Amino acid sequence: MSVQDYLDKHMLSRKLEDAVNAAVRAKTSDPVLFISNHMRKAVQSVITKIKARQILDSRGIPTVEVDLHTNKGVFRASVPSGNSTSMYEAVELRDGDKGVYLGNGVAKAVKNINDKISEALIGMDPTLQSQIDQAMIDLDKTEKKGELGANAILAVSIAACKAGAAEKEVPLYKHIADLSGKTSPTLPVPAFTVISGGKHAGSNLAIQEIMILPIGASKFEEALRMGTETYHHLKAVITEKYGAHNCNVGEDGGFAPNISSFREALDLVKEAISRTGYNEKIKIALDVAATNFCIGKRYDLDFQSPQKSGQNFKSAEDMIELFKELCSEYPIVSIEDPFDREDWEHIKHISSLGICQVVGDDLLMSNAKRIERAITESACNALLLKVNQVGTVTEVIEVVKLAKEAHWGVVTSHRCGETIDSFIADLSVGLASGVIKAGAPCRGERLEKYNQLLRIEEELGDQAVYASEDWRQ
Amino acid sequence: MATIKAVKARQIFDSRGNPTVEVDVILSDGSFHRAAVPSGASTGVYEALELRDGGSDYLGKGVLKAVENVNSIIAPALLGKDPTKQTEIDNFMVQQLDGTVNEWGWCKQKLGANAILAVSLAVCKAGAAVKKIPLYKHIANLAGNKTLVLPVPSFNVINGGSHAGNKLAMQEFMILPVGASSFKEAMKMGVEVYHHLKAVIKKKYGQDATNVGDEGGFAPNIQENQEGLELLKTAIAKAGYTGKVVIGMDVAASEFYDNKDKTYDLNFKEENNDGSQKISGDSLKNVYKSYVTDYPIVSIEDPFDQDDWEHYAKLTAEVGQQVQIVGDDLLVTNPKRVEKAIKEKACNALLLKVNQIGSVTESIEAVRMSKQAGWGVMASHRSGETEDTFIADLSVGLATGQIKTGAPCRSERLAKYNQLLRIEEELGSAAVYAGAKFRAPVEPY
Repeated sequence: MSVQDYLDKHMLSRKLEDAVNAAVRAKTSDPVLFISNHMRKAVQSVITKIKARQILDSRGIPTVEVDLHTNKGVFRASVPSGNSTSMYEAVELRDGDKGVYLGNGVAKAVKNINDKISEALIGMDPTLQSQIDQAMIDLDKTEKKGELGANAILAVSIAACKAGAAEKEVPLYKHIADLSGKTSPTLPVPAFTVISGGKHAGSNLAIQEIMILPIGASKFEEALRMGTETYHHLKAVITEKYGAHNCNVGEDGGFAPNISSFREALDLVKEAISRTGYNEKIKIALDVAATNFCIGKRYDLDFQSPQKSGQNFKSAEDMIELFKELCSEYPIVSIEDPFDREDWEHIKHISSLGICQVVGDDLLMSNAKRIERAITESACNALLLKVNQVGTVTEVIEVVKLAKEAHWGVVTSHRCGETIDSFIADLSVGLASGVIKAGAPCRGERLEKYNQLLRIEEELGDQAVYASEDWRQ
Repeated sequence: MATIKAVKARQIFDSRGNPTVEVDVILSDGSFHRAAVPSGASTGVYEALELRDGGSDYLGKGVLKAVENVNSIIAPALLGKDPTKQTEIDNFMVQQLDGTVNEWGWCKQKLGANAILAVSLAVCKAGAAVKKIPLYKHIANLAGNKTLVLPVPSFNVINGGSHAGNKLAMQEFMILPVGASSFKEAMKMGVEVYHHLKAVIKKKYGQDATNVGDEGGFAPNIQENQEGLELLKTAIAKAGYTGKVVIGMDVAASEFYDNKDKTYDLNFKEENNDGSQKISGDSLKNVYKSYVTDYPIVSIEDPFDQDDWEHYAKLTAEVGQQVQIVGDDLLVTNPKRVEKAIKEKACNALLLKVNQIGSVTESIEAVRMSKQAGWGVMASHRSGETEDTFIADLSVGLATGQIKTGAPCRSERLAKYNQLLRIEEELGSAAVYAGAKFRAPVEPY
């Protein structure tokens, strides 16, 4: 090939001339730097390399981290992990060798990325999210991603999503909004975990989380301020009543004082809110996680207690009466998982009462088929979205669309094992989920999501919209 | 050569839900580099001043003034500067833009050490990017250090003192995997011991003892310090790492020192404390010596009050050969106090906390002084941290040999450890883990 043919084939002279002209127009102080950046932008990015490694999540348990390289840079993602995994969610691949990280290693998932997924995706355009996700699903060949591991697939899917946003030179939340088709970015109402119980903490409290929602804030920054101030006041209340020993925190940063009754816990929260003076502006939500203490058809409110009295078993009807009482005595606006995941009858019953939002977490597991059934049967009216239960960004967007088309609320959620990856913050804004549940305003992996929402709100400036009273839509 | 095009600060939240300063430095090449500063719960009287707003918002802990100082004073002054000139930029901020001085040196009272440090860290990251080298390599170059070393992690696994609500006087008990062959293996050892410890504590004290403190450590309701050491010994044995994982303590003795009668009250956290357990500095020294005899303790931090130079020197003279005596509150990373401690042989290791001194340049100087005196250096987090991983790169670049950044729990702690895993992976076969040489992994530089 002659020099001229080479120049003509790649339109090199033209491209260089365009770059030089752009630099001259801009009258930049460093034209060479400007030209190199201009040329870089002119190149269509493809995925050039994918490298995974094992890192540790917020509980000191191994998880998968991926660096996905394109011409535009390196994009990193790491995946969350839960305590309560079930038969309906995507399968997380763990090594199982008890002598290494007590069986929780993810070396196999890492290898699947470095060998198989990498080979399949190199050369692909990172803006084509659905094609990338489908390629991995095809490579896995199983319904629940058990072959490659949902932890392997999701890490790459999220990293590709970040790369796609950079390729389009838009913020991640905007890219996600575009992928979902015309959504107006909205800052979500945070549901701050303030008291942890159940499996997320060492205490006798059966329910898993009590959360506060600063619905009355005018913007996310104010909501975060309300949340942190209430949290600190709650710490003071707990110290006064139970001693400083009860101020250590559970896996998602909530306090875990050694109390047993729902009312006792709710009274603490009510007192803390009162001390801030934010009273009507902050509402309460419960994550009961009733599946964890359902035995047969009864609910054992003492399941976490070492000294079981055997007197605290409740029927589902008793539980409904309890929830009705609590909702009339406290400003509770949302209850998650009030019954066992297979107790469709009673979940439908409490939803029909219309006393608050009923969120399906264990009931749905972000599974499209179960969501469809719940919509058809009016079993609940909000989806708790956990990205690692679904397994790819594309599928996450699909299940959110499904819920929103049914006029459900959507709560974007963390898992109890998290990292400093803040993807779900951008996801909650891009999909306008209305609510984000990322734990307490405590522990760095929780705060990182909330801090990212501060940055997004700052970036949006006058265009920022906080969900506030419209949090359920 | 890219220069500083913009500097922008904002208030974000640290791992305790307290406000802190985050800064973005944007360069003329379009790249941006971000840093956020840590904050302590038990700040020493000699450390650089952290500027808080006071008032009722955020319970008085807001940092909007510090943010404003970055945006309106520091930012305009740094425009056009070369971010690879770390010393010039740090000295400019510390000595000219701020300029406040006290008897111990530059105190950063006008702009706030939190404002200055956030910019200093972000500029350091920007400088590394401009040179197209990893941050740890850039830091090594700034210090004149030619040897990179992965530090031994000192995992804070049991909490007492002001970090926990139990009766324990001593603030932290740590495990150090000095017998690992790599940082990756050290993480495995630390994580496994931690999970075994959790099981041991749960069985002995109940499940409420498995909740965690500010740095991810457990705070079981134990009555005396030796019980903490026994728990560690058991957990290490159950994990199968006896001999490979050893113990460190951070006593934070200033918290229970009585300046009036010069005594130490190991019972200071008891509600109905009658002072009957107060002991002299000499008696406390002998307590430490008995622990060192009975347990594989390799490091004791802050064994005495920050002004009890006499007993520091005694303990260092008597056990300093086999046990590292670390000055945290004693030194507060302050060069003048380090110099005094070197001269008086008060301790033999520096706890390096970047926010106590307030800039990258001054941090490097404090480390250099320590190493030239033959001391150990432990790079350290604070109890309020963010996901910023600067101290991981700092510990490798300065070859501190040790890093203390909490338990393998809570991601503001894990983020630093995860970064060290990445650095070790990146260095490949050139990676060197400090291991048993953690007190002096390299020649002074």
